[in-house]
Amino acid sequence: MELTNRRYLVTGAASGIGRATSVLLSGLGATLACVDLDQSGLRETGSLLVGQGHVFRTLDLLDLSSIPGWISGIAEEFGKLHGFVHAAGAPAPWPLKALSPPLWRRVLTVNTEAAMILSQAFQKRSIFAGEHGSIVFISSVIARAGSPAATAYAMTKAALEGFARSVALELARVPIRVNCVAPGFVQTPMLERMDALWGPEQLERVEALHPLGFGRAYDIACAVAFLLADTARWITGSVLVVDGGYTAQ
Amino acid sequence: MPETQNLYTLITGASSGIGRAIAERLSEKRHLILHGRDLQRLEACRSHCAHPEMHLLWMHDFCDLEGLAPSLTKLLAETDIAVDCLVHSAAVLTLLPVRAVTHAAFSKVLDANLVSAAEIVSLLVKRRVNRQQLKNVLFISSIASNFGAPGFSMYIASKSGLDGLMRALAVELGPGVRVNSILPGGIRTPMTTSLLEDREVVDKLARDYPLGLGEMGDIVDAAEFLTSESSRWITGQQFVVDGGRSINISI
Repeated sequence: MELTNRRYLVTGAASGIGRATSVLLSGLGATLACVDLDQSGLRETGSLLVGQGHVFRTLDLLDLSSIPGWISGIAEEFGKLHGFVHAAGAPAPWPLKALSPPLWRRVLTVNTEAAMILSQAFQKRSIFAGEHGSIVFISSVIARAGSPAATAYAMTKAALEGFARSVALELARVPIRVNCVAPGFVQTPMLERMDALWGPEQLERVEALHPLGFGRAYDIACAVAFLLADTARWITGSVLVVDGGYTAQ
Repeated sequence: MPETQNLYTLITGASSGIGRAIAERLSEKRHLILHGRDLQRLEACRSHCAHPEMHLLWMHDFCDLEGLAPSLTKLLAETDIAVDCLVHSAAVLTLLPVRAVTHAAFSKVLDANLVSAAEIVSLLVKRRVNRQQLKNVLFISSIASNFGAPGFSMYIASKSGLDGLMRALAVELGPGVRVNSILPGGIRTPMTTSLLEDREVVDKLARDYPLGLGEMGDIVDAAEFLTSESSRWITGQQFVVDGGRSINISI
């Protein structure tokens, strides 16, 4: 999983899976453009990265129209990209009766629409480095399994996976590969917020449903690195489920 | 001797194709038991491995299921080793239109491709045989597992069964043992050579595969990932490596 001289954009790099991914990719030799809304989180991620040349941008993915502009700026300053990882995501832990369009549309914008605009912008010759093209979206097991009070979140992730499959076909001739990683329940700030909602008993029950227990953000990062590197040169349109066996039982 | 020195990776079907390619890669860092039916081809595989003297040979035809357990038990006992990782790559590809399928033909395919895997895992989780050392199981399945094709009923039934077995084992044997399948798409191996001699087949494959036909190295990289610590939280999964074939319904 060699990534020396490769350049990647990572969204959601300030915490959780985005942070663990950035750290691992830097350790494998990649140079990174790290993007997040959380400036201090980005700074802390920066202090954990290995190597030189990484750049950091505080940006709001809710502003879709600004994406082509800033990714263009990054490519100019930082160098053309070999791929990107969309790890930014907003949770949506609302029961059905609490849903409203404005509420879920924000989550849809960050989780799904931003990924679509990033993909569209990325494939331009002014942004894409022209070889080793690989895009990874962080999805969720919730895209294909189900869970109460996860309806809006599940919708955004299922939509993301559907988008990924078809865009994989469109970009296959370039080639730019497009794959999803679907994590199960991973110890991250997002899970900690669920913990507060569920309580310790419910959390224990969920953990018991995982043959291998809860995972770490690092486990997801390893799968992302595998998909970005040449180790996955013949893999596209796939969903790599990393969930400790949760969906197998 | 320290425990780790006696831990081996068993690769079935190591005398050719994907099994052999995986053996050559894993031989760099592991002790291997190379399984096959043909002694000459097994020895040729071993000679192409890194550190040939580190690897053992196990000959057994999986058509003889009754003799499988005694044969493997004997090998482990005589050499005083344990198996911590199993890669099951042995398989036969027998095509028959369904009107010509017989119980005997079907049994042969199921025994070689599916039941042999169950027999071996069952043996390797017996304390007195393998001292609870089994940690990781990888089945080489096929994207055919999830689809249909004329003439492929026995093969597909065996691969689909293999993936069902994989999920059941992942749940039953977790957390101590991880179990996954790799589902390769169409690649050139000795098993697929005659299929790929047909010009029409090759042209159709080029249209159907967004990234073109694959090579053995593509499968080997996935196998290396799934048998390493980098995949320590992955279990019960069908890992598709197929150049995008499975998701391609474009005209």
